[in-house]
Amino acid sequence: MKTPSNSIKRRFALKFLRTLVRIRKSTHQPSPSQSSTWEIRRRAQRIKLAAYSSMARTVGSKRAWSRALTMKLRAAMGNRPWSMIKQESKKMTRRKLIAKRKRHMEKDLNSGVQELRRLVPGGQWMDPLSLMQETAHFLRCLETQVRVMRSIVAEGEGFPC
Amino acid sequence: MSSRRSRSRQSGNSRITEDQIADLVSKLQQLIPEIRNRRSDKQVSASKVLQETCNYIRSLHREVDDLSQRLSELLASSDTDSDQAAIIRSLLM
Repeated sequence: MKTPSNSIKRRFALKFLRTLVRIRKSTHQPSPSQSSTWEIRRRAQRIKLAAYSSMARTVGSKRAWSRALTMKLRAAMGNRPWSMIKQESKKMTRRKLIAKRKRHMEKDLNSGVQELRRLVPGGQWMDPLSLMQETAHFLRCLETQVRVMRSIVAEGEGFPC
Repeated sequence: MSSRRSRSRQSGNSRITEDQIADLVSKLQQLIPEIRNRRSDKQVSASKVLQETCNYIRSLHREVDDLSQRLSELLASSDTDSDQAAIIRSLLM
């Protein structure tokens, strides 16, 4: 089972930090009191999207979950590449038929697998074997993402203002 | 692994065996801290592993939420650009 390497951590950190700098420049208020709770919450949403999108871009098109996540994020950010969606939907129709057949075969592990399909991007269309492999890779990348974010926060909170 | 996958896709009547799923689930088991750290000689059931995996993914998402909030607050409170530059430099070193 393939697992992500340290280069993913580094490439993700670079992308994410660059995006953070961009977000800061576009939302920074001259005096801190002007940042309302709502504005902070709004920016937190942007940061969250930036984290997932930076990881998806780092992994690129190599994994099914990162492809699915990229599409989902583009839709969420209102930027739809129609050519990509048309291409993907052709693959998806065939995969959906196959997945439907496979789902009939899943009985006992059903509820666990169904839940996992909802949590892993693109999981709805994967056969059970691929789902496990994608879950393993997705999990490692998500852990990496969290670790990098933790260390950035730790650095930032360690600096007294 | 990939050849097995393409074979099962083309022939509609070949089952994904329980063994194959159980094998992968046991590999997944190693990735979940909850299960890895628990000292048990017993084999953890596949459905338990799946359950713990789902819980773990959800908890990671919650942590991303929380960390994003804290990052946003940090970006609001810090004044000088030199702070950010120092942080970024130290992390990319």
